Amino acid sequence: MPSRANAVVRLISGVFRLPDTLLGALDDLLDALRRRGWGDAPAALLLLCPGLLILTAFILVPMGSTFYMSLFGGRHGMGSFVGAGNYLDALGSHDFRQSLLVTVYYVLGVIPASMILSFLVAFGLYRIRVFRGLLRSFYFLPYVTSAVAAAMVWRSLFNPQSGVVNVLLGYLGAEPQQWLLEPRGVLYLLSDGMVPAAWGPSLALTCIILFDVWHGCGFMIVVFLAGLSAIPRELEEAARIDGAEGWRMLRHVTLPLLSPTIFFLLVVGVIKAFQAFNSFYALTQGGSMADRQNLILYIYAQFYQYGYWGYAAAVAVLLMLAIVALTLVQWRVLERRVHYL
Amino acid sequence: MKKVKSPVCPCSFNSRRTVRAIGMAGLLAVMIVGCGRAPSRTGDTAFQPLNPDSAVFWDRQTTESAELLRSLVDDFNKGWKGLPVKVERAGSYTDIFRKVTAGINAGVLPAMAVSYESMTSEYITLGAVRNLDSLVTSAETGLSAEELNDFFPGVLETNRFPEYGNSYYSFPFAKSILMLYFNKKVLAEAGITSPPETWEEFLTQCRQVKQRTGKFAHAVQADCSTLNGMIFSMGGEVVQGRRTLYNSEQALAVFKLYKTLAREELAYLIAPGTYEDNVALAKDSIAFVLRTSSALADMKLLMEGDLERWGVKRIPQKDPAQPSTVLYGPNVCLFNIGDEQVKASWAFVKHFTTPEVSVRWALETGYMPVRKSALQHPDMLAFWEEWPYNREPYDCLPIAKPEPNIAGWQQVRDFAARAVTEIMTGIYDAETAARILKESADQALARAANF
Repeated sequence: MPSRANAVVRLISGVFRLPDTLLGALDDLLDALRRRGWGDAPAALLLLCPGLLILTAFILVPMGSTFYMSLFGGRHGMGSFVGAGNYLDALGSHDFRQSLLVTVYYVLGVIPASMILSFLVAFGLYRIRVFRGLLRSFYFLPYVTSAVAAAMVWRSLFNPQSGVVNVLLGYLGAEPQQWLLEPRGVLYLLSDGMVPAAWGPSLALTCIILFDVWHGCGFMIVVFLAGLSAIPRELEEAARIDGAEGWRMLRHVTLPLLSPTIFFLLVVGVIKAFQAFNSFYALTQGGSMADRQNLILYIYAQFYQYGYWGYAAAVAVLLMLAIVALTLVQWRVLERRVHYL
Repeated sequence: MKKVKSPVCPCSFNSRRTVRAIGMAGLLAVMIVGCGRAPSRTGDTAFQPLNPDSAVFWDRQTTESAELLRSLVDDFNKGWKGLPVKVERAGSYTDIFRKVTAGINAGVLPAMAVSYESMTSEYITLGAVRNLDSLVTSAETGLSAEELNDFFPGVLETNRFPEYGNSYYSFPFAKSILMLYFNKKVLAEAGITSPPETWEEFLTQCRQVKQRTGKFAHAVQADCSTLNGMIFSMGGEVVQGRRTLYNSEQALAVFKLYKTLAREELAYLIAPGTYEDNVALAKDSIAFVLRTSSALADMKLLMEGDLERWGVKRIPQKDPAQPSTVLYGPNVCLFNIGDEQVKASWAFVKHFTTPEVSVRWALETGYMPVRKSALQHPDMLAFWEEWPYNREPYDCLPIAKPEPNIAGWQQVRDFAARAVTEIMTGIYDAETAARILKESADQALARAANF
């Protein structure tokens, strides 16, 4: 009996020591490889494995599936092989080009406005001494609010009949607007009809842009604040001794030293803007108006509502290529102007 | 300064280009591994049941009507010896459409689901829907000629698909009709004593409301079914074969009416997917709303039981002697997931369309009964006695026409809603909107046929 009990104890302790034993063996193996001149490459590869597996399963394989799907016709499934047919259809489609234009308007509206506004707020927060933490939380609040819930509030604010915005416009003696239901261009409305209605972003799209600027600024403000806090005080003091103050200090010292932060926010912001979905969907109820249908909503409609899987996959691939190309251009053009400390 | 040499791997691939090329090849290989061919299905195909122990029914009803449906299902199960039916709420109609198409590709489906004609035609092309002809005509489990004659013709006909041998691929479930709701108080303020019979009267009364009360007369919901109902009431049709008729004289008359309403600020556009128009009517802010008869129960709630302040009637017509409106509301389609499931589903569908159940369903939900004999039922007669307007939707049943049930119609619906919005917001005039709608709708139908 005692010998059997001992055997059980040995077995249990062996099981508990198994990870140690395995890790020890692995360590010995890596040491052996290192001694043979393989350096740290095997260890690095081993550490990269979990990440690579996840990336493969959830990014690379779906990407491959999407590309493969884009080569086939059919509805609600894959029909016959059409090669580049879906790509040619997309490039020839007026609705696709319109969605691309809406996406470009949106990116050009959201990114500069968010970045400039966020920088100004962050700079102000960085300078003030009192209530900084409180104000920082205050500005960060929209970002942590659910986009869908916030969009519901914005929809009621912009309601043409009962919304607060039109009530305020009424107090100011201005004409009420259709806001999120208005497909005419904002330039047309501002110029009192002198610019054609189809030019520029529609008022509805402008409302979506405003919403996303409001919703996304919190994140950028926090990142800008981190960037500003990382600028060495000695450099600013040295510049001050040399006579730099105000705008000159900002232009020649602060902004160059903040350039890595600006570059990061620009790259991430552009990618996110090209992929915007929540705000468009929640503010327009997935409506089919062309003036507020970005490429993601277009893909969504083609795939889920109309069942053109291959076509939607082709547009998704085109969108991905556009984002990759734009990111590479940003990298090549702007990285030269980034000053790393 | 001398460059620090990094530790080099002793393997033979010391050329960066070679390593990169191998990396890219690996990446491509991994991506190609992901390229599994999804099943492509045509013709009748067998699918796996979502639940082998019961016939699952995907529906969209909420609140009281969902409870009623569950209770009807319970009643059915008590007297049924086969697989029990289980009703599951699967979201909105659009959600159900997405789930079913995903289920078709996954090879797993419920026993039945609510489905609009345009949705059913998509499922047919994928071989997922059961052809009901043999079940309907079966001597054992089908319906007799007398029973079939008892159905309202339009309600039944919409379930036959001319593109697929004119067979039954669905069966009536919850039908409703486009109606005109009016606010008597607002009309009285404008000096109007009775609601309009014709579209000309409608426009005149809208102008009168605007002029005398300063209020908008109507709130427009940009919706394809409403547009189609208005075209029907003008004496027109919306489709011929696989080509739309949105540039017809009757369609143009509807678009011009919208244009006038917008230009003279007699009506405003409501946000898609909302019921702002019903709320505005209940708040005495507008005079007219065009909505389905199934909104009757909700409208009674919004009006807080005040039956004196409002009414409902047939939509205005071009020629009241030849009236027409649109019939909408979903049907039920049965999926090819095995005989036991189909048997239980068909038995339930048959039970659901019996005159007794049809009456109970109609009275408690506001949907239309599908059988003519239901209109003679004592409960129905008592319901009509309660409030004179309760009878109006039922009187419209014989003149209600179904919408097209051809593949690709889902996209046409979006184009139609877009056209109405563009007219109401002043982007296009009636002629241009009609032309663009006709072109894009025809292209969408042609595209759906070619894929």
